[in-house]
Amino acid sequence: MKQNIITTPRHGDNFKDKLFLPAIYEGCKVTFKHFFTNLNDSNAVDTLEYPEEQPRDITNRYRGLHRLTHRPDDTIACVACFMCATACPSECIFIQATQREDNVDEKMPLSFAIDTLECVFCGYCVEACPCDAIRMDTGIFSLTGIKREDFVLNKEQLLSHKGAFGEEISCARD
Amino acid sequence: MSTASIIVALITFVLGALLALLTIPVLVWLERRTAGLVQDRLGPNRTNILGFRLGGVVQSFADVVKLLLKEEYYPNHIKMGRWLFMLAPIITFSAALLAFMVIPFADTIIIDGEALRMQPLPLEYGVFWYLAIGAIGVIGVIFGGWLSHNKYSLLGAMRGASMVISYELALGLAIISFILTYNTVDFNAMVQWQSNTFFSFLPAWGILIQPLASIVLIIALFAEINRNPFSVAEGESEIVAGFMTEYSAMKFAMYFMGEYVAMNTASAVIITMVFGGYQLPWVSTQMLLDNFSYFAYALIIIVPVFVGWMIRFMKRNNRVRSSVSHDGGREFETKVLSLVLIFMAIVIDTILLYLALVPNALATQIAVSLLQIMIFVVKLMAFNMFFILIRWTLPRFRYDQIQTIGWYYLLPLSLFNLFITALVVVGVNQ
Repeated sequence: MKQNIITTPRHGDNFKDKLFLPAIYEGCKVTFKHFFTNLNDSNAVDTLEYPEEQPRDITNRYRGLHRLTHRPDDTIACVACFMCATACPSECIFIQATQREDNVDEKMPLSFAIDTLECVFCGYCVEACPCDAIRMDTGIFSLTGIKREDFVLNKEQLLSHKGAFGEEISCARD
Repeated sequence: MSTASIIVALITFVLGALLALLTIPVLVWLERRTAGLVQDRLGPNRTNILGFRLGGVVQSFADVVKLLLKEEYYPNHIKMGRWLFMLAPIITFSAALLAFMVIPFADTIIIDGEALRMQPLPLEYGVFWYLAIGAIGVIGVIFGGWLSHNKYSLLGAMRGASMVISYELALGLAIISFILTYNTVDFNAMVQWQSNTFFSFLPAWGILIQPLASIVLIIALFAEINRNPFSVAEGESEIVAGFMTEYSAMKFAMYFMGEYVAMNTASAVIITMVFGGYQLPWVSTQMLLDNFSYFAYALIIIVPVFVGWMIRFMKRNNRVRSSVSHDGGREFETKVLSLVLIFMAIVIDTILLYLALVPNALATQIAVSLLQIMIFVVKLMAFNMFFILIRWTLPRFRYDQIQTIGWYYLLPLSLFNLFITALVVVGVNQ
């Protein structure tokens, strides 16, 4: 039993620690050093001056804003199978399907809207998609608007987003 | 009452109000920027008026406007004592403001044989006034906490009350040691006493003559103004904002501003009692008056050097990184501010040169007073910076730990110091 007992050293019992002032002096040395170094050259402070400086650490696995991909013939890759809407845990994908008239495929979405205020950016829609039609590889991390409707992205907006990493077009049928 | 006395009274009053009130936004800004720099961030630096950022100090004025324009919300659950609920922040704020008003900004100026005190309230018993009024501030805290009908507020107020009983005795005894040493209760006489020297070369500042009482005084004043490491009346991790949880908009701002005025007051008291007030070390007012031309020549050199240093600092720090394409008017701001600084330096140098070459008793006196006010302001801001840096260095004490410190350490220390002081004073006087 005896070897299992570990005695942790307790601090604060000696005179120096009870005085408090030496400890305060030590602490001040650290903060003062940081303060004067940073005051002397504030541009060397390791922060991002955000709107002017954009983040440089967005990896290709970063889940940014969604986009709808295109086929090689530049038409929409989505076949309106509702897989993404079913997989979505926050139920923020709204699809209306319609008949596809150009003989490329049978179905396409008439409207495809994502409410980004509801979206939790989990990426399940991307996993669920059988056609590689929805992706989150735009690298867009900020979406701003002045009213709630601005944050509901429609089909045209989603199609206009460009992929920042990897393939631009859908890889499903190759 | 002569014209000169009325003018001096007005000027000191305006100066006192400015030093107490206009420093609030500056102190808030200093606090936030210092916190940022200590923690390797930048702090608020974006708000600007026509591109003038002034290092971000505009942010504080924007905050004031925001608080003024906020909805005057009144918590519904408070049925009784509404007027007291409103009065509580005013008590704290005005107590801190009034306590500041007995601090001398410069030595007594003598115009036409009439001695005019450079205090907004020309009292000869300033220490008593400060002790009486300064202690009232916590009543606002307790009222606010009690009348909020909120557990967090009440706990905060109780902690505030527990603070009072821990530091007041030690503070009073430390101040009595100073009163014994300086043999006066007049702040101005205290400063005059500190322009002596002892051991023939050390300035007789309180910190050197009464080191123990000085430390007790500084610690007790940290406690009195509710500042870290003794800011137990609020504790964001356990009791939200403490006594001011239920307060919003301008009522909250009163507490908030009162805190900074109190900090300013405490700094002023500390520098007046301990760090020689408005005096330079080794230099008494009489020496300044007699040898003003030498000091003027020294200033003529110091002012441009300081301005040059400021401009260099701005050029180095008021710019964006090389990776950013446009600088948002920072270069323009640096240029304009540099020109203003250079212009000010030229004006000051011209006036000083004129005063040094053409001696004029009245003008010299006014110039000496202005110089002392400048020294006072510099010391005041330096000590405020000390308060702020301490806040961002130390964690909070628990309120029972503060009581332990107050009763087991500070009180015996100050009693012991009082005993020794009394012995020495009696011994020296015999």
